[in-house]
Amino acid sequence: MDPLLSTRRQFFGKSATGIGIAALASLFERSAFATAKTLPGFPNFPPTAKRVIYLHQSGGPSQLDLFDYKPGLAKQQGVDLPASIRMGQRITGMTSGQTSLPVAPSIYKFAQHGSSGAWVSELLPHTAKIVDELTIIKTMNTEAINHDPAITFIQTGSQQPGRPSMGSWTSYGLGSENENLPAFVVLLSQAQAINTDQPLFSRLWSAGFLPSSHQGVRFRASSDPVLYLEDPPGMSRTGRRQILDSIAALNKMQYAAYGDPEIETRIGQYEMAYRMQTSIPDLMDLSKEPDSTFEMYGPDSRKPGTYAANCLLARRLAERNVRFVQLYHRGWDQHGDLPRDLTLQCNGTDQPTAALITDLKQRGLLDDTLVIWGGEFGRTVYCQGKLTEANYGRDHHGRCFTMWMAGGGIKRGNIIGETDDFGYNIVSDGVHIHDLQATILKCLGVDHTKLTYKFQGRHFRLTDVMGHVVQKALA
Amino acid sequence: MKSVGFLLAGLTMSAMAANTAPDFDREVRPILSDNCYACHGPDEKHRMAGLRLDVKESAFSESKRGKIVAPSDSAHSLLYLRVTNPETSHRMPPVSTGKVLTPQQLDTIKRWIDGGAKWETHWAFTAPKHPDLPDVTDKGWVKNPIDRFVLARLEKEGLKPQPEADRITLLRRLSFDLTGLPPTLDEVRAFVNDRSPDAYEKQVDRLLASPHYGERMAMQWLDVARYADSHGYHIDSERFMWPWRDWVIKAFNANMPYDQFTVKQVAGDLLPGSTIDDQIASGFNRNHMINFEGGAIPEEYQAEYVADRVDTTSTAFLALTMGCARCHSHKYDPISHKEYYQFSAFFNTIDEEGLDGREGNAKPFLKLPTPQQDAEEKQLTASIASTEEVLKSDAVVKGFEQWKESLLAKTPVINREGLIAHYEFDGSLGDSSGRYENGRTIQGDPSFGPGRIARSIGFDGQTLIGLGKGAAFEKNDPFSIAVWLRFGGGKQQNPVIERIADSKTRRGYEIWFDDSVLVGIQRRAAHIELRMTSDWPNDALVVRSTDRFTQGEWNHIVFTSSGSEGGIRLYVNGKSQELVAVAGKLPQGSISAPGAEIQVGAKEPDAARFSGSLDDLRFYNRALGAEEVRYIAVDYPVRAILSGVGGKVTKAEDERLHDYYMTHVASSDLQQKYAELAVLKKKATTLEKQILTTMVMHESKTPRETFVLLRGDYASHGEKVTPGTPAILPPLPAMPDGKQPNRLTLAEWMVEPTNPLTARVAVNRYWQMFFGLGLVKTAENFGAQGEPPSHPELLDWLATEFISSKWDVKAMQRLILTSAVYRQSSKVTPELLERDPENRLIARGPRFRLPAESIRDNALAVSGLINPKIGGESVFPYQPAGIWEELAFGDGFSMQSYTQSHGPDLYRRSMYTFWKRTAAPAAMLTFDAPDREKCTARRLTTNTPLQALVLLNDPTYLEASRVLAQKVLHQSSKDQAQRVKLVFELITSRSPDRQELAVLTKLAREQSDNYSHDPKAAAKFLKAAGESPIDGSLNPADLAAWTAVASTIFNLDETVTKE
Repeated sequence: MDPLLSTRRQFFGKSATGIGIAALASLFERSAFATAKTLPGFPNFPPTAKRVIYLHQSGGPSQLDLFDYKPGLAKQQGVDLPASIRMGQRITGMTSGQTSLPVAPSIYKFAQHGSSGAWVSELLPHTAKIVDELTIIKTMNTEAINHDPAITFIQTGSQQPGRPSMGSWTSYGLGSENENLPAFVVLLSQAQAINTDQPLFSRLWSAGFLPSSHQGVRFRASSDPVLYLEDPPGMSRTGRRQILDSIAALNKMQYAAYGDPEIETRIGQYEMAYRMQTSIPDLMDLSKEPDSTFEMYGPDSRKPGTYAANCLLARRLAERNVRFVQLYHRGWDQHGDLPRDLTLQCNGTDQPTAALITDLKQRGLLDDTLVIWGGEFGRTVYCQGKLTEANYGRDHHGRCFTMWMAGGGIKRGNIIGETDDFGYNIVSDGVHIHDLQATILKCLGVDHTKLTYKFQGRHFRLTDVMGHVVQKALA
Repeated sequence: MKSVGFLLAGLTMSAMAANTAPDFDREVRPILSDNCYACHGPDEKHRMAGLRLDVKESAFSESKRGKIVAPSDSAHSLLYLRVTNPETSHRMPPVSTGKVLTPQQLDTIKRWIDGGAKWETHWAFTAPKHPDLPDVTDKGWVKNPIDRFVLARLEKEGLKPQPEADRITLLRRLSFDLTGLPPTLDEVRAFVNDRSPDAYEKQVDRLLASPHYGERMAMQWLDVARYADSHGYHIDSERFMWPWRDWVIKAFNANMPYDQFTVKQVAGDLLPGSTIDDQIASGFNRNHMINFEGGAIPEEYQAEYVADRVDTTSTAFLALTMGCARCHSHKYDPISHKEYYQFSAFFNTIDEEGLDGREGNAKPFLKLPTPQQDAEEKQLTASIASTEEVLKSDAVVKGFEQWKESLLAKTPVINREGLIAHYEFDGSLGDSSGRYENGRTIQGDPSFGPGRIARSIGFDGQTLIGLGKGAAFEKNDPFSIAVWLRFGGGKQQNPVIERIADSKTRRGYEIWFDDSVLVGIQRRAAHIELRMTSDWPNDALVVRSTDRFTQGEWNHIVFTSSGSEGGIRLYVNGKSQELVAVAGKLPQGSISAPGAEIQVGAKEPDAARFSGSLDDLRFYNRALGAEEVRYIAVDYPVRAILSGVGGKVTKAEDERLHDYYMTHVASSDLQQKYAELAVLKKKATTLEKQILTTMVMHESKTPRETFVLLRGDYASHGEKVTPGTPAILPPLPAMPDGKQPNRLTLAEWMVEPTNPLTARVAVNRYWQMFFGLGLVKTAENFGAQGEPPSHPELLDWLATEFISSKWDVKAMQRLILTSAVYRQSSKVTPELLERDPENRLIARGPRFRLPAESIRDNALAVSGLINPKIGGESVFPYQPAGIWEELAFGDGFSMQSYTQSHGPDLYRRSMYTFWKRTAAPAAMLTFDAPDREKCTARRLTTNTPLQALVLLNDPTYLEASRVLAQKVLHQSSKDQAQRVKLVFELITSRSPDRQELAVLTKLAREQSDNYSHDPKAAAKFLKAAGESPIDGSLNPADLAAWTAVASTIFNLDETVTKE
């Protein structure tokens, strides 16, 4: 017999304490995840995407070696960046002391791909095959020039800590579509590059001033994929069920005595916790995936915790309607030895990234899943450190960089924006961080000016007081 | 989120006739503020039509089309006509704002105007007046004046308070509120059996006097003061602010008056005769995050630190959202952009740097030596001074100069016997042995810089050079390789010199840096190795130095080989050093590599190249003797410098000459003194590193000027400003001629009785701690956008009492806690719940889930595991593996990986858990603790499945359950019911009723069945429950079963709730 049913019967049997039967009945119908509710009035318009998979490439991938093709630079090798291009813009303390800022042309071959004719470098052969699914934005821009403020900015809309992350906003506004999983899931993978020294911060998936139930829940590659999910060794499922039944029975008595609705919520949360103990391991268990899946995502996808495995997990989370999957991949901070480390990074991520798009598409999920790829900023055209024929490094560059979006509501085979001959400044169609955020929310059916939370007297929003939906990105 | 302003309005409406004039402050201003002030408020830049609705003159003015507000005549009030205009394009607020007034709000405005449009200044900006106590009907219920205010309101609403809670509940409530810990069973029994009329008051006094009282009060203040043990930005390494945290605990325990508590934290460093404690207190304003990300711009972050101080100080003491005026004038409250920067000028003048904190605390900080360290430091300083005096005497200086003269321009001898290759690296790769095996650059670009003798060659990790094909040795050949080496760092193996046939067999010989470890902030040290290889790795000799060589330091290294077994020697800086034989036998096969080139910086593809420098590299085809080595390493460089080979003697070289002179040439007396000085200096450096410091406020000798920052941008300076406070608040005292107000002026101004905010903010915070919600729910914001107080007269009464009690914190809290309001039962009926879900009317006692810290502390306390030590360094309790490491920068900085404590430190109270901001204690975050990046005046409380998982599975709670079970199995009889009763009572302070007993006895039976049938499971379960010893005298199946029972009770709503 269903243990919940039996306790339920006992419960109704002894409810002589003045609490209405209706109130008690609601106890079992409530969705257990606190984030499950949608704010009244949301979505504001019909969504084109039900969920988001955000592939954040932490460190700042070099747009000049991947997407933003500048053939003219070959002739400028070693030439100091003209003042007319730099225009006095601030640069980081890592290169501001260099006596010169020599132009470092990319050493990689570029070719046009797909019917859109998008230029992609030889480092991304798999991405090159899916360009017709993408809107490539070459004119992303941010004011931040260092990792901490830049990544905090792109994730929370503010360079300084304290604001909720994009996933938390989404959870707060739209709630969860899956009763057994959180609305906002975070996946982390480590770098392939040899020089990797970029930290991440839990604030990037923090709920900020929103209730903490909206913070991202990390799913980790360990026996305990969610912290404290696993029962202790030596605790059988039967034993756990007995304990949970007792907790429920006793909490119900407490509810009968005190009438505080928080008690009924807690009863629900324990049941939810119990369900999570099966639903999450089931989600994380890739053993039933056919070999063809692993072939598509590449051999790394069999190793838990890799970028490839996380891309596959992201698809499984999308299948289960998780609202916001935030993936972080480290290792894109190529201040030196760019050719060595960028190659390693691309080798580790290109195939699984493209596989995710292909896989979502073949399952019909790409139509209502928004996928985003990109870093917190790009990299400079000028070399950091020593420039040689075969080796160079690039500093942080926020004036323009490349990201792409695909799926739910995004135009296919689309290229937005033009940068100057040095890939340094925007010539047309700049897309600011807040514009990107407004566009992501738009796809989810949310007007970015309407999703607000009053804190310290102010109605805060993800896009602060800025942001315009990038219409050119929308299908 | 449901607006409480609206709720309060709703509550009021229910009690009053619908046409009564609403209260402007409580009901009307919030509507105007939220919907109109953004364009018709204090911000002059964005003001539309010149109209202000936050100022009476403007709101009641007459425009071309008529009066904005015509009292008693809504039909002719433009305000009302515009907000109700049927034409969308004419209606206010404009559609573009996304704001829409509800019918209730429109009605409120109408009733306010028609009721005479009474205008009041915003309540929080007027000093509180001592109100008369309201009349109440049920006088018998009243225990102190607080009750009059609450009861009067309840009676008006037609509600009755709840009866007093039972004594057990009351004592639990009090104990958690005042100490953050549960009462012991003895304490419960004593109170239950105390028949004296003031039994309850005695408990309040007992708990106020507990040493844990200060900890409980500090728990709340640490959130406000954004206390943490790490810097927060980017790499997020360790800082030391726990002396400040301990100061807070002590201040509360000593019942420091709140005005002093405020003044010392804001300006303790500026107090006349400022003590060490006063200075520590000023660390309040140094708890903000600090950055040292490579490449960040110092001015940007220095501006952030100042902004954080403004935010935190204004929120903590004044509940003002000053930060909203950082980019432009405040949209809702009368704080102009310029006033914000005047206020920030108080905090902009300390001796700080924009990027700091790489190695612990950022300056300014205060050294806190122990008395012993203090004495030792003084003694060392004196000894160093007296020794230096001797060594710097004229005679010594003269002797040194004469010695130098005597050797000047004399070329030192180079022992050329067997010297088969010699690279001096003085700007070229030339071989000066006479064999002309000159080198070449193969890849990259070697650099020549200052060396040990004239210049040296530098390698950047991308460079490879070849040095000819000489110096071919077979394994039985005697040889020596001598070189000055400077290790440049790197995590991986770092090849220096190699002469090998191919990269597969590696036949030949090589010198490597290997096995590097961190020895400081981004500084590594590595062993040096000699490898003689026939076939790597199966047939090779590998010997390794015993010491590691630190990155950036020059060392002279000589490997000699006699050519026979066991004949390898290593000399470091002229002295023979022990070798570790990793594989000590000479290879079986040949190591000959005819035609191979000596290379420096070689590598495997995709591995790191050599990073560091070389100088004076020599190859001999014989084993040098000890004296020869000493000459090359010690005497030769000095003579070479004096010979003039490197040109003019540099300062650094002169220091080396001096060192040589004092070590080898001067009289033996002086040599001894000189050696003593080195020892003393080393001791002083070691001591310096051991002395604890804490960050403090300290004014700079050259204070920064403060400017209005346009749009808040650190680089866009506007008008220069001097320190000042917003005009809406009482003025600062007149300053003597030419003197600027400083932080101390500000601090003292904040605690002037005329300040309308400080006392209200403080008593509201205490109310919030005890009732879950403040009288002003928005404890962080008393401005126009904050929620008006639920009981404004009560708030003012408490605030004025607080001031007239000379800011006596314990007396104020005692007053609140002894009220009948506080003592009510927290039981609620469905009717009351529907009427007042948030308990703003306080018709029942507070019922809230415990704060994160108390949930864990409770488990530690009732199990008896708790270590009650107060204060001291933060600790590292159980935490799932990898939480820090998966996010961390990596190595080179402190606190990049989590090293769990063992023993008593595992059981310290939760407030002592090391708080790393970028990966704050996971289980505490789950229970709504903030990440401490910013000032938090109020925690929100959530109820999630992740919380259930923590309580069910975190070893902390399993261990508490097991230890409690051990106690129960020893103390009680074998009777199951007796055991259940005891374990239940230990955790909840009360006996279970019959039904509860039935549930738990059944569970105990089930669990016993489970574990007696599966002893292995029992053993595993017990082992997983923490590090404290398992009581071996107990039956494991029994213990496991009762651990499960205790764990069940730890999971109850009642256990984690303050009833």
